[in-house]
Amino acid sequence: MAGVVVRGRFPRRRMVQVVATNVFRYIFRGAARNWLRNMGSTAPALGSMTLLLFLSGVIGLSGLALYNLEQVEAGQASVLHVYIRDYAASADVDTLWDRLAQDPRVASVTFTTRAEALKRAQRIPGLPQLADATESNPFPASLDVQVKKIDDVAAIDVLVRNDIAVDASYPTSYDQGAYQRIQAVLFGVAVAGLAFLALLGFVAVTVTVNSIRAAIHSRRDEVAIMQLVGAPRWMVRGPFVVEGAITGGLAGVVGGAVTFGLAMTGMAAGSSSFTQFAPGITVTVAALAAGIVFAAGLGLGSGSSLVSLRRHLES
Amino acid sequence: MRSIVEFKGVTRAYGSRLALDDVHLALEPGELSFLVGPSGAGKTTLLKLINREIRPTAGEVWVDGIAAHSLKASHVADVRKRVGVVFQDYKLLPRLTAMENVALALQVSDLRISDEEASDRALDALEAVGLGDRGKAFPHQLSGGQQQRVAVARAVVAQPPLLIADEPTGNLDIDTSWEMMDLFGDIAAFGTAVLIATHNVEIVRRLQRRVLTLVQGRLVRDQPAGRTGRLAWLASS
Repeated sequence: MAGVVVRGRFPRRRMVQVVATNVFRYIFRGAARNWLRNMGSTAPALGSMTLLLFLSGVIGLSGLALYNLEQVEAGQASVLHVYIRDYAASADVDTLWDRLAQDPRVASVTFTTRAEALKRAQRIPGLPQLADATESNPFPASLDVQVKKIDDVAAIDVLVRNDIAVDASYPTSYDQGAYQRIQAVLFGVAVAGLAFLALLGFVAVTVTVNSIRAAIHSRRDEVAIMQLVGAPRWMVRGPFVVEGAITGGLAGVVGGAVTFGLAMTGMAAGSSSFTQFAPGITVTVAALAAGIVFAAGLGLGSGSSLVSLRRHLES
Repeated sequence: MRSIVEFKGVTRAYGSRLALDDVHLALEPGELSFLVGPSGAGKTTLLKLINREIRPTAGEVWVDGIAAHSLKASHVADVRKRVGVVFQDYKLLPRLTAMENVALALQVSDLRISDEEASDRALDALEAVGLGDRGKAFPHQLSGGQQQRVAVARAVVAQPPLLIADEPTGNLDIDTSWEMMDLFGDIAAFGTAVLIATHNVEIVRRLQRRVLTLVQGRLVRDQPAGRTGRLAWLASS
C-alpha cells in the first residue's frame, strides 16, 4: 500500500481556491454535464414548468391589473353623478349644490359642464365613436358628488332624484349593487386563477420530481460509489439540486421573457386602451414580474429536486 | 489500544427475520480477519452496519470511536471516511480512468485536496497495488484482477484505519485471488484493520488468520489467528 503521505501546508488563499475549484467541479460542472446528458428526460419538466411560470406571470399581471381596476371602480362607485336637466335654472342648480355640499355624508361636490362631460367620455374606450356619431353633444352636465361612505350613495340618490334641477328621465348614475357585482366577479376570477395555478403547479412539481427521480435512478451506481467513498450528503445531493435549479431557471428565463414580451406588446399595441383595461401595468412592473418569474423558476426547480431527493435517495 | 470496530450486543432484524442476533466482537488495528458463514448468515449485514449503510435494531456499533448506531444521516460521511470498502463487482466509475477513480475518492471526502495532490496520492496508491503504469486506463481496458486492485487502491488511498471487503475474490481466478490476499496482508501490516467476508475455504484455511463464523445471524465461533478450525460446513455452502 501507499506510504505515509505528508500533506503540505497551503496558504489560506490557496486552500480557498482549491475548495472552490473542487466544489465547482463536483457540484456545478457535474450538474451541468448531467443536465445536458439527461435533457431527454428533463424536457417534459422543462415544458410544464415553462408553461406554469409563463401563465403565472400573465395571471399575476392580470391580477394586479384587476386589483387596480377594482380600486378605480371602488373610487368611482362612491362618486354619484347627479345629471342636470337641460335648461335648468342656475339658481336651482346652486341650491342643489349647496344642499349637497352641506350634507355631512358628502366629501365634495364639483360641477361638470356638458363640454367637460364630452371630453371625459372621449377618454373611455368605445364612447368616442358614439360621441362622434351625433352632431350635438349627448352628454349632460352634472354635479359630481364624492360620498364619504359607499353605503350612503343610495341615500344621497333618494335625496336628489326628485329635485327640480335634476333630469327626471335619467337623474343619477346610481346603479344598485353594481360595485358588489364587480367585486363578486373579480373574486370569482381570482379564485379560478389561483385554482388553475395550483393545479398547474402540482403538475409541474410532480413532473420535475419524477425527472429528478429518473436522474437519480440512472446514476444510482455513481451515487452509491460517492456515498461509499465518504462524500458528504450535501455533495451527493448538490448536483441534483443544481440540475433542478437549471431546469427551473431556464423555464423561468423563457416564462419571464414571454411574460415581459406580452406585456410590452400589449402596451405598444394600444397605449390608451391598455391603461384603461390594465391600469398600473408599466415597463417597470412587467420587468419586475419577469424577474419574479425567473426567481420562482429557480425556487421551484431546486425545491422539486429536494422533494425528490428526500423521497428517492437514501443516505 | 482502542478497537477500530466494536459490536456490543448488535441485533438487526428485517421484519420478523433476524439477520444478526446479539453479536459481540472487536477488531484491532493491523488485524486481518475473515468473516465466513453460509449464504444468508448475515455477513453483508454486518459489513453494512460497520459502514453505516444500515442501523442496528438493537445494540451498539462503534467505528474508530464513532457511535455509528446513533449517527444521523447527515453525519454518515464521518464514518465512511474511516472505512475503505471493496466489493465483489469493483464498483468503479466507467467514465473515469483508474487514476481518476482513485483521486475522486480523495477529493470528494476532503475538498481541500488539490488536483496535484490527489493525482500524486492516487498514483502512489496505484503503484502500491502494482498498477502504477495503468493509471490512464479506463476500467473496461483492465482485467477483473486489475479492476479489483484499482478498487483496493481507491479504498486505501485516504489511509482509513479500517478496510472491509465483501467477497473480493468472488470474480477472480485462484492465482489473482492469492495476489489479492497478499495485498490485503500488506495493508494490514501497515496498521489497517482488514475484515474480509468470503466463501473461499482454501484461502481462509491456508492463511490462518482470525476467523469469525456467522450462522443464522449468530457469531458462533471466533477463531484466533494461527489456528485451524472446522470449516467443513463452508465446503457444502
